[in-house]
Parts: sequence; C-alpha cells; structure tokens
Amino acid sequence: MNRLIRDTVVVAQKELKQLSRDPLSLALTVMFPILLISIFIVISSAFGNPNIVPIVIADLDGSGESKILIDKIASTELVRIAQLVQTEEKALAVVESGEVIGSLVIPAGFGNRLLNAQEAFVVVQTDNTKIMASMNIIRAVTEQKQELLDDLMEQYGLRTASVEIVSRPISGRPPTGDFILPGQLGMIIILGAFDDAVNAMTRERERGTFPRLALTPMNIFSIYSGKMVSTLVINALRTTFMLIIFVGNGLVIQGNIALIYVTTSLIAMFTLSFGLLISSRVRSSATLTILEIAITFPLFQLAGAFSAPEVLAPAGRAISRSLPWTYGIEALRRIMYLGLGLEGIAGNLAILLISTMILLPIATLLSKRTI
Amino acid sequence: MTMSNLKYFSKIFAIMFNEFRILRRNRSAILISLVVIPFFFTASLGAGRGGEGETYSATSELPIAFIDEDLSEASGRLYESLVRSEDFNMLLQGYREEDALATLGKGGLYAAIVVPEGFEKRLLNNETGIIIVHVDDGSPGVDDAVLSNIDASLSNFNPNPRIKQTGNIEFVGVEIVMKGASFSGFAVGLTITLTMVVVFATFYEIAGGMSRERETGTYSHLLVSPVSLGSIMIGKTLYDVCLNVMRTFIVLGLAIYVYGASIHANLLSLVLSVLFIAILTMGFGFLVSSFGIGVRAVVIIEFFLILFLFAFSGFFIDKELLRGISQTIATVLPWSYGIDILKRTTLIGQPLMSLTYQLQIIAISIILFYGVAYLLLKLSRERLVK
Repeated sequence: MNRLIRDTVVVAQKELKQLSRDPLSLALTVMFPILLISIFIVISSAFGNPNIVPIVIADLDGSGESKILIDKIASTELVRIAQLVQTEEKALAVVESGEVIGSLVIPAGFGNRLLNAQEAFVVVQTDNTKIMASMNIIRAVTEQKQELLDDLMEQYGLRTASVEIVSRPISGRPPTGDFILPGQLGMIIILGAFDDAVNAMTRERERGTFPRLALTPMNIFSIYSGKMVSTLVINALRTTFMLIIFVGNGLVIQGNIALIYVTTSLIAMFTLSFGLLISSRVRSSATLTILEIAITFPLFQLAGAFSAPEVLAPAGRAISRSLPWTYGIEALRRIMYLGLGLEGIAGNLAILLISTMILLPIATLLSKRTI
Repeated sequence: MTMSNLKYFSKIFAIMFNEFRILRRNRSAILISLVVIPFFFTASLGAGRGGEGETYSATSELPIAFIDEDLSEASGRLYESLVRSEDFNMLLQGYREEDALATLGKGGLYAAIVVPEGFEKRLLNNETGIIIVHVDDGSPGVDDAVLSNIDASLSNFNPNPRIKQTGNIEFVGVEIVMKGASFSGFAVGLTITLTMVVVFATFYEIAGGMSRERETGTYSHLLVSPVSLGSIMIGKTLYDVCLNVMRTFIVLGLAIYVYGASIHANLLSLVLSVLFIAILTMGFGFLVSSFGIGVRAVVIIEFFLILFLFAFSGFFIDKELLRGISQTIATVLPWSYGIDILKRTTLIGQPLMSLTYQLQIIAISIILFYGVAYLLLKLSRERLVK
C-alpha cells in the first residue's frame, strides 16, 4: 500500500515537473481558464445587461394615447427610438433593409378605439434573424401597452380584476446573467481535464516514453493514479483562478468553497477517465485534441452549462441526464448559486464518483492492452 | 487560354488532388471531418431543441407544488386552468409553503405556486389577485419557462366570472400584431450549426494541415517543387471548398431526413453563403499557419476562434445587444457579417446579392487574409522549412 502511494506521488511529481518545463502548456494551464472565463463573462453580461435596441415608430394616429405609448416606450431600457417615420411602408422598409431591428406602427384610430372601450391594435415588425433583440422589442411593447392600459383604466375609473404573478427566486438574487457562470466553471474543468488526458497519455505515447514508464517496476495503477493526482493539483489551481475571477466580477458564492473544490475534482476525475478511455483508441494527440473540442461544444448544451436539462427537448433531456457531467454542473450551481450543502448534492457527487469508478478500470485495462 | 495559364491551373489541380489523396489515406481525418463534426453538432442541435415542428413544454413533466391557502372557488378554477393548459401535468397538492421551499433547488420540486388567502375576495372586489411563484433559479431556464407558462395559462382564467355574466364592464385591450418572417428554433439552430461545423473543420484542415506538412517535412518538399506558393494556397482552398460543400450537404441531409427540417432558402444562396464563411476561415487559417505554429497550438487557437464567434458574432447574442468593447469586437469580426448573410439568406430568403454591405466586408477580409498570409509565407519561407 505504501509503495502504491509512493509511486503515485512520484508519477504525480513527474507530471508536474514536465508541465513546468513546457512553457506553452504551463501558459495554457493559467491563461486558458482566464481567457475562457472572460469570454463567458461577456456572454453573461450581455444576457444580464443587454444594449438598447434601435427601433422606428410610425405614429399614424397622432392621438394623445399614441403619444403616451411612444413616450413610455422611449423611457424603457430595452429599446430606443432611432427614427419617427410617416408611413407603415417606410417603417417596414427600414426593418427589411437591416437599418434597425424592429418597427412599431400605431394605426389611425388607435386612441379613439381605446377610449371607446374597443380592442385596439399596434403592428410590430421585427427582424427575427436577431432573436434576442426581437424578443426585447416585443417585451418592451407588451410591457408599455399594458402600462398604458392600466393608466387609462385608472384615469377613467375602470377597474377589472386581474391576476398578478409575483416571482420569488429561491436564491434571492436579482435576475442577472451570472447564473451561467457555475456551468462555465464546470465546462472549463472538463476542457482542462481533457487537455490533461492528452498531455498525460497521447503525447507520452508519441514520444515513446509511455512503454518505458510501463516497463518500470511501477504498477500501472500507480501510473494512472499519479496522473490523476497531478490533474487534481492543476484542477485545484484552475478552480482557484476561476473563483477569484468570479468574486472579482461580483458573483456572490453562497455555498461552501471546499464543496466546490470537491465537485470540480470529481468532474476532473471523471473527465480524465473518459479522456484516458478515448486515448486508448485514438493515438495522435492532434486528433485527440480536435475530438475533445468536437465533443465539448455539444456538451455546452447537453451538460446543462447554459440552461438546465429540463428545458431541453425530451431526447436531449434523456441524453443530458445520462451524462455524469450534467450532475457535476448541477451540483456546482446548487453550491455556488443556491448555497446548498453536502446533503443537497450528495446524489450528484455519488453519480460522478461511481461513473469514474466504472470508467477508470476500463480505461486502464484498454490502455494496458495497447501499450 | 494560353499555355502558361493551363500549366498554372494544372498545378493548382495537382495540389488539390494531392490533398484528396492524403485525406483518402487518413481514415480518422475522414471520420472527424465528414462524420464526427457534422454529426455531433447537428445531433446535439436536434436533441437539445427538438426536430423541426416538434413542440414540447419544458414544464409539463416537472414536479411543481400548488399550495392553495385560499381554498376558494377562484383558486380551484386557477388550478383547473393550469392543469387544462397541459403545461403543468405534475401539479402536486398537499405541500405546505415551508416544506415546498425546503425541497426547492434539490430536484424534488422546480417551483411552488402559492395562492394566498384572500385571493378570491380581491378578485370579487375587482382588485388584482396575487399569486406567488417560488422558482428554482438554480436551474437556468426553468424559472422563465414556469413563469411564462403560468402567464399563458392565465389567459384562460376568468378572474371575475360574475362581471362577465352581468356584462357591466367591457374589457379593453391592445393586441400586438406581429409581422416579420417567422421560423422555428431548429431553423435558427441549423444556421448556427452549419457555421460552427464549417469554421471548426475548415480552420483545422487548413492551419492544421499546413502545420502538419511542416512537422512532417513535406512543406519543404512542396516549396522546392515547381509549384508556386499561390498555386499551393489556391489548390488547398479548392480542396477545402469541395469538402465544405460535402459537409454542408451532410448537415442539411441530417437536418432534413432525421430532424424533418424544411429548407425554404435557395440552395445555391445557402451553399454560397456557407462558402463565404469557409473561404474567410481558410484565409485566416493560412494567416495563422504563416507564423509557423504547431498542430496543438492550431487546435487551441481554433477553440478560441469558435468561442469568440460564440460571444461576438451573433451566434447566440445578437451583436446589437453587446456593449462597449464587445460591440467593437463584433463590428470588426468579419465572421459576424458572414453569419448575418447566412441567416438572412436561409431564414428570411433575402437575395444574396442584396446584401452588398456584408458581401463587401467579407470580400475585403478574404483578400486581406490571403494577401497577408501570402506575404508572410513568402517572407518566412526559410524559417518555416527548418
């Protein structure tokens, strides 16, 4: 047992020494997560604080009510009125030419119909190739027309019963884009561990050092656990960088920091086992790296990095729930975002651990046969 | 055509056929380029968003607590409205609010709808009745889906049936008439998938291919042959154009025959739009390879290129929604114009030639990339063959 531990430590030290001698890999270990998270922070800030979308308005009514609606729309933080045009055709043409993303046409008789308690309408044309911006325009018009109605009802003493939905997020946070950050930490850990697997095995094979290592008196299990330990050390470094950046960007981590490290370590261990399994079949490091990236991009969606598996289509949900990474990312979100303790994520961690325990011996066996 | 022109073209085709010969001998390259990348990306789109025409409710199978503290006829009707909507097939009754809150976030419940005491009384007095929805915002997307589906279900809920019966008050409203081409989420996803597949594979094939040629020493052989650098670049470009046409049809084939996508766009415009993005990426690939980097570095640059496109080119977030430096990056990133062309031709059927502004930027960028790459490859010839 002592020897197993000693050999494991020796291999881990060797791996870390090799990394320190390779400036490109070392720089990547440090810079890769920082660059990656910077891009994710840009994405999350765009979700949380989108820029104002330009629209044009054609007010064919010119009534007091239409002017109130225009004023209300102008005061929102979702859209800005870039231009007032005279005709509906002109408004539509500006959208079709791509100059603005949307137009609002208030038809003649709008105010009159409202005051006579008749159903009025407005026409919204959007460039739907820009989905998020179009949705913001529709949201702005929907919210402001409702405000106009409420004002009018109050003004004329018309009160109707309605139901208001009060939303209370259990995290107690205001709606921002930072909900994707725990998922991104998970993805960075997955990518980093994949890269470690490439470093650990394929390049060693390419240089011909792996058969030599296998021929030493060391047990193959010690070699693998040594590589695993070095991955865990690098993973802890990556997690630390990420957490510093998150906190620096104002993300309040509600849960236990140690649990975050445990979860990222389990994600890294599973990913490394998966990487070792693939590397037993794919021998070239370049092929393995490209494969790794080809697998990672679909994982952004299927492992729940951007949105929970529950919002995927049924087939996607089933795939997502069969991937151990999904449970790791879910656990990270529950710790960081909701502040849950071990009892809230024990099931997720167990799935990751069991999956690793199944995959690692298979990977070891296959690698041993292909030395 | 003069003899020298013929010779020039024969060299270009010789390079192109040589590339195909190399590809034919490399089974894993064929698999990755024409099977794994198109299949993974298209399949993940279909799995995630569902096929064309497939509709599903994200909340229909989610356990959601319905806590009725009012126990009135109105709260009963509200429950009925939610159940009838088919968006809430797992509404669980019998929870107390504190128990539901303790379960939320742990996977047992995804939301808790609380109808507080006095709900009916307020509605009968023509006041606003309030329902409280505790949502698990630790599951991104679920909270929005729950709230919007409750909102939609409320359109079938009559807050005060007595008023309707007596007809005392006419309900006024403003309808929003939506105009503009509409298309499925799958169609939008398909344009993103096509772009990703093309950029991903193309950059690796060009920049990775050049680096591999340098590492294996065949690049120096090519340079000492009578083939000019221009012929090498054009030959490799033609080879990759062919691969990209194949890849486009593979992705479209999967989308049409597996996920039921219907392509309304002109096929020629679609293929040309894809090829603009591909040639732009090839130019960038040549530029990167002129710095003499290894295959591993190429793959890493590729990863960041894709991420950059994710963040700044209108893949997911429209560039108009970005602020400050992010918007500047989006404006100077030529791929964002290529993606715009692809979306406009494919989704709303805009004629390719009407997108002159975007086409000009793409053309200038391609010329710039190829020109600078040619110069750098020429100037660093000695360094690259070492």
